[in-house]
Amino acid sequence: MAKKNKPKHENEGGGEEEEPDFSDPEDYVDDITEEELLGDLLRQKPKETDGVEAVIIVDGVPQVEQDRLEKLKKVIRKIFEESGGIINDYYPTDKNGKTKGYIFLEYKDKASAEDAVKKRNNYKLDKQHTFICNLFTDFDKYNDIPEEFVPPKPQPYKDFGNLYFFLMDENCYDQFSIIYDCGTSSGSTTAIYLNSIPDPQEIQKRERWTESYVRWSPRGTFLATFHAKGIALWGGEEFKQIQKFSHPGVQFIDFSPCENYMVTFSPHIDQRNEEPHSIIIWGIRTGQKKRAFHADKPPVWPIFKWSHDDKYFGRITDELLSVYETPSFGLLDKKSIKVPGIKDFSWSPTDNIIAYWIAEDKDVPAKVTLLSIPNREEIRAKNLFNVAECQMYWQKSGDHLCVKVARYAKAKREKNEIRYAGLYYNFEIFHMREKGIPVDSLEIKEQIQSFAWEPVDNKFGIISGEPPSVTVTFFQVSKGQQPAELKKFEKRDWNNMFWSPQGQFVVLAGLRNMSGVLDFIDTKDFQIMATTEHFMATDVEWDPTGRYVATSVSWWGHKVDNAYWLWTFQGKILSRHTIEKFCQLLWRPRPLSLVTNKDEIKKAVKKYSSQFEIQDKMRLSKASREIIEKRQQQMSSFIEYRKRMTEKFNAEKSERLRLRNSQDTDTLTSNVNDFEEEIVEFLVKKEVIPIE
Amino acid sequence: MKPILLQGHERSITQIKFNREGDLLFSSSKDPIPNVWWSINGERLGTFDGHTGAIWAIDVKWDTTVFASGSADQSLRLWDCETGKTISKLQMKASVRGISFSYSGNLIAYTTDKMMGQQSELNIIDVREPNNVDDTAIMKAQVTPTNQKALSVLWGPLDETVVTGHEDGAIIKWDIRTSKKTDVAIEHTKQINDMQLGHDGTMFITASKDSTARLWDLSTLEPLKIFKTDRPVNSAAISPLIDKHPYVVLGGGQEAMEVTTTAARVGKFDARFFHAVFEEEFARVKGHFGPINSLAFHPNGKGYASGGEDGFVRVHVFDDAYNQFRFDY
Repeated sequence: MAKKNKPKHENEGGGEEEEPDFSDPEDYVDDITEEELLGDLLRQKPKETDGVEAVIIVDGVPQVEQDRLEKLKKVIRKIFEESGGIINDYYPTDKNGKTKGYIFLEYKDKASAEDAVKKRNNYKLDKQHTFICNLFTDFDKYNDIPEEFVPPKPQPYKDFGNLYFFLMDENCYDQFSIIYDCGTSSGSTTAIYLNSIPDPQEIQKRERWTESYVRWSPRGTFLATFHAKGIALWGGEEFKQIQKFSHPGVQFIDFSPCENYMVTFSPHIDQRNEEPHSIIIWGIRTGQKKRAFHADKPPVWPIFKWSHDDKYFGRITDELLSVYETPSFGLLDKKSIKVPGIKDFSWSPTDNIIAYWIAEDKDVPAKVTLLSIPNREEIRAKNLFNVAECQMYWQKSGDHLCVKVARYAKAKREKNEIRYAGLYYNFEIFHMREKGIPVDSLEIKEQIQSFAWEPVDNKFGIISGEPPSVTVTFFQVSKGQQPAELKKFEKRDWNNMFWSPQGQFVVLAGLRNMSGVLDFIDTKDFQIMATTEHFMATDVEWDPTGRYVATSVSWWGHKVDNAYWLWTFQGKILSRHTIEKFCQLLWRPRPLSLVTNKDEIKKAVKKYSSQFEIQDKMRLSKASREIIEKRQQQMSSFIEYRKRMTEKFNAEKSERLRLRNSQDTDTLTSNVNDFEEEIVEFLVKKEVIPIE
Repeated sequence: MKPILLQGHERSITQIKFNREGDLLFSSSKDPIPNVWWSINGERLGTFDGHTGAIWAIDVKWDTTVFASGSADQSLRLWDCETGKTISKLQMKASVRGISFSYSGNLIAYTTDKMMGQQSELNIIDVREPNNVDDTAIMKAQVTPTNQKALSVLWGPLDETVVTGHEDGAIIKWDIRTSKKTDVAIEHTKQINDMQLGHDGTMFITASKDSTARLWDLSTLEPLKIFKTDRPVNSAAISPLIDKHPYVVLGGGQEAMEVTTTAARVGKFDARFFHAVFEEEFARVKGHFGPINSLAFHPNGKGYASGGEDGFVRVHVFDDAYNQFRFDY
């Protein structure tokens, strides 16, 4: 035997090999369990409960005798096979062979079963019969409910500190966020600054804080960062993570105005029969998913628009205006509002009023309607003719609504598109606070570039004409009167208008291809306080208090000179910050002011301003003192360095003389004796004198 | 004051240099003919005809007798300043990129490009007999592969040391007696475009593509100051009156190849004046409509000249505002 144990490949010819003996030895006891031997196979063994999830129960089926059973089956199949192939059915019968009125259907898979339940639940077969469909597994689920109620464990309270810490700055400095180093392999850096005087102070900086951009919540409580897996919210004194929302591929978010809810959108294509994943509404405080929706393609963000108090939100689908309520997240009065031809809608920023407009349809004119919610009462409607397009602009204070109406002289139908010719513009101004909501109308013949309300008070500005030479006109609306023209600036190279959040002051800017001209205007007397520029500026942002303006050249818009500059509201430059690959500056918003006696403060402004002036002076002198001290120190060390060097230089004099044949060339005049005088003639003037 | 515009080159200026007294200004460009001008009125004194390629670097001996030029035609020429005739021509195997006379004028250091199988080299030759130059180098150092090619070269004060500026931003000091590297300073992150010595040879300034210029102590290779801009810096010079007017001037701008797509204003082709101690910019001089490639202070410190990608040389004399300007400290 020993010889045979040689390695096999040394054997000549395989035929001589002895057949190995596979049979158990006689004393062998089989003590290996099947689980141990082929556990992996056993796990795949079909279970009795398999396929149960593809079974549905339909109640409310007509009770029939045996002779009509075939006919019933035929009808049932016709109705239910729409969702997928039925592989099995069972019609329980009583002693007499009459069906019991409920049936079991087994689909080929779970998805079909779920779809069938969704579609055919509450399906009316006829007057007497309505199907009630349920998944078979649901019965199990409800059967398994424990008899006794166990209250859920309260989650431990997490203390995030004071989320309003940022409002407690003693100098009322505002904060802003910046993103830079975008597009680099190491990811972008996000930093939060305090806009202190004279120079902003960095209070937080994190690399890769976000994967695309950041957003502040509308009242400034949270900073939202975007990640491949979802959204994270940060806040409090040290910008700790407060909440995270898992939503893969999220691209857009929207906060409700009171910061109770957040809507996230991911361009995920939902399957018809699966749970919606595209749009999710979350409770910010709890982090819980409130409701998810399917997205229409292609969505125009924001899809959902919120009422000012977070009570309602709405969206448009086809011919429907759907208004939902919180906190139930159900449809208001359980049904959408049918509005054929609805194009767009918007909420009043201060009241529960929806404004929407309907496009023209043959002989029916276009219409702008104001609808009060929740009673769905139409409080104002206005018909408009020859309308190509409408845009609605609410004043921030909710006092006025302006509808910009693009009207046409001629419309041509070409295939499926309508082409408009001879466009001109009407501004329909709704006076929301007056009885019956009167509407004023203003006509502008030129192309409209931009429209903006003064956030408070009653002025608005329009930029019209063809760039680069545009006209900017300011109007005032007043009770019972046509809008009055206040001031017109002609032939300007502005393309954007930015009102101060407190009104009165406005920045007119020629952004991007208009190379960044900036004019700061006081609309009280329309004096241009400052004319300046931030070359190639792409963005202008007012701080929430209307004290400062930030202009920036974003890397997203322009690849060089990325920087942000800070100005006072009067257009005085405060500081310039050049940052490579700087992308975005966002001021941290503030909540609504709780101050009630504004007038009193205004009256006492002299008293306050003298205090502030003293503070400013101290800060400035401190800053300039610091600079002077630093310079003095730099200068003295430099002088000291130069002294040493000059000594060294002088010590090497003999060496230098040796190298240059004993000529002293240390200064320009040190070798005067070696100078040779040379006369050089220069042509000073050329005159041509013709002879005769 | 209005600058004097020198229009004699057909292509972009590569280097300009005053002689020691400052009465003459030498200029070279990517055309093959270096020029020499009266600095006082901008009249052209003459040209140096002979090269067949772009001139990358020039230098003039301290007594203005010999002028040296290094060219892309793979030659180095020595010229008689008075007649403009070639005294000797040294044929190389690669383009000459940087060139510098030693303090005594007896030696020339030059760097060559890395090309056609040739490594970038630093060479020092003896030019005591200009019309009979022995082209065997008395010192030869291979710059690569440890460091990328040397673009500029300058001499230390007493014919003892040579400093080279490299494509990767490194600055290397060599001792010519031992032919060894004595110091390596890596502060710049991109290539060194220019290096210039202060009037007494104790400090030098480097201009880099990384948008900064730096002031260095030559004996220790210690960085003293940094001057930051937002564009590549092609050239920088120290005022000869450093103890009275501690200023430096920087020139550059958006790279020539990108300029065609941008407006002149975006390019930022201004000469920028910085306070050498506080590192703060205090003045700008506009004029060129392409990047500035070379800058030089007049040896009397009362003016400067700049040569640009636009092919012009502009000679400026400072006005009173420059002399009266003071920083608060």
